[in-house]
Amino acid sequence: MNNAPAPAIEVRNLRKSYRELDALDGVSLTLEAGRIYGLLGRNGAGKTTLMSILTGQGFPSSGEALIFGHSPYENDEILAKICFIRESQKYPDDFNARQAFKAAALFFANWDQDLADRLVTDFALPMKRSIKKLSRGQLSAVGVIIGMAARAEVTFFDEPYLGLDAVARQIFYDRLLEDFALYPRTIVLSSHLIDEIANLLEHVVVIDKGRIMLDEDAESLRGSAVAVTGSREKVDSFINGHQVLHRDSMGSLASVTIKARLGETERAMAAELGLELSAVPLQQLVVRTTMAGLQNDNNESVEVLK
Amino acid sequence: MSRVIKVAQMQLINKWTFMGIPMVILVGSTAITFAIWALLPASAREGTLYSGSGQAVMWYFLALGIQSLTYTFPFSQAMSVSRRTFYLGTLGLFAVFALGYAVLYYLLGLLEQATGGWGFNGQIFALDWIAENNGAIQILFYFVAMVLLFMIGFWAATVYMRWKATGLLIAGIGFAVLVLGLVGLATLNNAWPQVGAWFAGMQVLGLSIVLGCLCVVLAGGSYLTLRRATA
Repeated sequence: MNNAPAPAIEVRNLRKSYRELDALDGVSLTLEAGRIYGLLGRNGAGKTTLMSILTGQGFPSSGEALIFGHSPYENDEILAKICFIRESQKYPDDFNARQAFKAAALFFANWDQDLADRLVTDFALPMKRSIKKLSRGQLSAVGVIIGMAARAEVTFFDEPYLGLDAVARQIFYDRLLEDFALYPRTIVLSSHLIDEIANLLEHVVVIDKGRIMLDEDAESLRGSAVAVTGSREKVDSFINGHQVLHRDSMGSLASVTIKARLGETERAMAAELGLELSAVPLQQLVVRTTMAGLQNDNNESVEVLK
Repeated sequence: MSRVIKVAQMQLINKWTFMGIPMVILVGSTAITFAIWALLPASAREGTLYSGSGQAVMWYFLALGIQSLTYTFPFSQAMSVSRRTFYLGTLGLFAVFALGYAVLYYLLGLLEQATGGWGFNGQIFALDWIAENNGAIQILFYFVAMVLLFMIGFWAATVYMRWKATGLLIAGIGFAVLVLGLVGLATLNNAWPQVGAWFAGMQVLGLSIVLGCLCVVLAGGSYLTLRRATA
């Protein structure tokens, strides 16, 4: 018997096919408990489909999705540990926010009404207005408040910032980190805005066209690439042998992003050559890596065609 | 088990839907009936006055069946409630309400008889063919009728939730074909006299049992449909 605790989320070769496309095309993932994950990808990449299946709301065509080692489908014991408010969540037509929170307090054992009240004030959410009359941002706030105050062991946020203004978004990120520090749990933030949430993330999963393009620790990902800027010839000789993720050049200057972890000697060498080394923002990294992955795919398929 | 009860509590968060509106309909429709009776010229008031306004609340239950699924099921999914728990909690709550209203109808029927048909010699709740049975059968009949209407609404909403308009269309056409088939069968076999006699011979208890079986079929069908439905 394996005595290690089951991971919070485990996905094995998950597929979901619709008539015209594969929303998920053989996804496998293992996410340990107690961390903040970013599920990043473009619109239509399969983020919501994946989360729906992980919360027992959607059905896979094949493969397995497990929460703490068990399938969540029709499993109340496991479901009680999960919270997933979808981006397009529907509420009972006659509900206002106060009633929605009252319902959430019934079902989520760790519900914190004080936190919910504080967030309502922070987001200036009207409590008595019917939910169907709320603005897009206010609707997102209802979902965010339920997701946070529920303190579920596994919490999914589905594009939580839609319609929220910059101040409200910052409040959400700050409160989430504060609360996470006090009550560590597994949080999955799905997003197509990467830079904004980059500081929150401990681990990054990038999904595109139903496939996992990247599944890496945020810290090691941040150190995995570097931008080299300087005179073109010197840059070219310096980066020789490294995988190039992106290249910008202007006149005799070039700025090249390479996938590499530079050691002390290499850094010293760069300084000697008069090259500037700079960190690459997470968003750039994700975009470049994803696009490089797509190009590789395309090249392979071209070769197969030949 | 406790989550099943919580589903019932969730359905009751807006008390107006389950408790307020049916009461308004009941009081309103009865008051309107009284007003109409009072306005009738004396010549029209001879003999017993009949009204179908007692049905009004029952038809609201059809709408309630649709509402309690379409409005609340997607939300219950976000509350991490399994489909089975949602189903048991919603139907359980409704059964309790239907029983409550059935008893209320029975009591209103008694009151109606005691007051000489509300002073108008009228019949709203104690319709002869129902009121001639004993109390338990009357309550059973009202209960089954309400549950049946709720189940029709609930099941139709489940079919819509799972297969959208196509599903509802196919179910509707299927039902029409079935009815047509039965009518055709009776016609071809010249069986209408027997069919008529069967209906005429059926007492309130028999009717309740037949409708009750229909409720069970609809309830089973709803559960199987809901199990694979996505919000």
